[in-house]
Amino acid sequence: MSDTPVLRLQRVNKRFGGVVAANDVDLDLPPGVVTALVGPNGAGKTTLFNLITGNLKPDSGEITLRGESLLGTDARKSALRGIARSFQDLRLFEQMTVFENVLSVMERSALPWQPGGRAAARARREKADATIETVGLTNWRDARAIDLGYAEQKFLSLARILVTDATLWLLDEPASGLDPASYERFVNLVRGRLAHGITICLIEHNLDIVHGISDRIAFLDQGTVLAAGEPRAILNDPKLAAIYFGERR
Amino acid sequence: MQGYILNLLILVSISGILATSLNFIIGYAGIYSMAHAAFFGVAAYTGALVAMHVSTSLLVTIPIAMAVCAALSLVISLPSLRVRGDYFVVASLGLQMIAFTVFSEWKEVTGGIGGLTGVPVATLFGFRLASLESFFLVALTCLALVVLIIYTLVHTSFGRSLKAIRDNEVAAATFGKNPIVIKTIAVAISTAFCGVAGVLYAFHISFVNPESFTVDQSVFIMSMIIIGGTGTVFGPILGALIIHLLPAGLTYLTFLPARDLASLQQIIYGAAMVLLMIYWPSGLIGRANVKDTWAK
Repeated sequence: MSDTPVLRLQRVNKRFGGVVAANDVDLDLPPGVVTALVGPNGAGKTTLFNLITGNLKPDSGEITLRGESLLGTDARKSALRGIARSFQDLRLFEQMTVFENVLSVMERSALPWQPGGRAAARARREKADATIETVGLTNWRDARAIDLGYAEQKFLSLARILVTDATLWLLDEPASGLDPASYERFVNLVRGRLAHGITICLIEHNLDIVHGISDRIAFLDQGTVLAAGEPRAILNDPKLAAIYFGERR
Repeated sequence: MQGYILNLLILVSISGILATSLNFIIGYAGIYSMAHAAFFGVAAYTGALVAMHVSTSLLVTIPIAMAVCAALSLVISLPSLRVRGDYFVVASLGLQMIAFTVFSEWKEVTGGIGGLTGVPVATLFGFRLASLESFFLVALTCLALVVLIIYTLVHTSFGRSLKAIRDNEVAAATFGKNPIVIKTIAVAISTAFCGVAGVLYAFHISFVNPESFTVDQSVFIMSMIIIGGTGTVFGPILGALIIHLLPAGLTYLTFLPARDLASLQQIIYGAAMVLLMIYWPSGLIGRANVKDTWAK
């Protein structure tokens, strides 16, 4: 597998008035690797996701996906280029069923029909059902998303990403609030996808989860990447720990 | 008596089409329009003018009115649906006010406040729909067709995309959907079906004037959906039925003074809406939705 980064951020800056959300951020996401973004609240982790997906425009800097610029790309076009993301607040299609949530993310044409005819439609439905089974939601297939428990909603959020053909996943606190059994199932699902050529970047506050799932860590504070590298090295750094747990530099 | 009931049922059918078409964008796309009466009016004037000058065939008048309404919808859809939020409501309210002024003041075409009189009898496949019975059958068939088409649409990928955008537009776009185009198409479809109702109304009443197409009428149509149940197939029709049968039912309460009936009707509407919103927020046949109503 090539070591060329799937995604590269170079000197990316973003300010909201006087608040620096991204300060000359340089970050590479190597292929087939789980990179965790770690840092205290307000470090700019979700802002980076929004900059990558085009939900926000950077003030300056360059973001490239497999060598091609993502600047000027909105959220929809990012999805079409193979980026899928989940949200901290999940943003499920609440009134739709689990099946509809999963099926719908594969239906991207704005017209009243999708390309490929009946055969493609049947294939999408089968894929949706298989994905629902993979995440263990078969018993909730026809339940509305809003009626699910929190853990099931988390897995539905993951199913919406699993079912796409995206090769770069951005997961915003995907395992927070999961019980140990659900968490283990989640880790197995996510790690299992790496063999399929998926690259993953996730935001997580629980350091045990970070340690258990990630191959690399990028530590952010006040919009700046302070360190990036092996989880053990980052998590054992007393200066970073002090920042993370509230003692300022 | 039979004529009175048939007349009522024709109006229920026309209102059912109006409410069903508005429900398509409110219930399934979360787009609130205050201009449905304006489109209803545009279709009625278009239908009347085509009938008076070109053809009385429903197969001519209805498609023309549908096309005019859909094209006009782009005037507000394209600028206002580019942004999320309540812009469409405001833009549609503006269009409603402009439309009423045009209906009232463009005397050469609309006949002004007096309206257009003498709309000829509608024809279908060469048959004159002169009797109430025949016209009711046509109106009912149109309602059934509109309901069937919308039912089919909301169960396709397009319907799922609409619902996804309604539930979370940012997430829908993040998964590759194009909310602007999808919402614009939905509004065009909705207003086109509104065109069917407008033409039927013009033929049924045989004259059109601006008073039938005020902002009050838009609120009236919206209340049918809310009473019946937004995002349901038959809720809007039930709402239309109730809204039309309520005044008719009040006339049977002989102990009520006739001159107070209109006021009483307004009070009952108002009270019903308030009670519905408190105790039955999803409408009479809407899905019981206590969890998300009270949780937010």
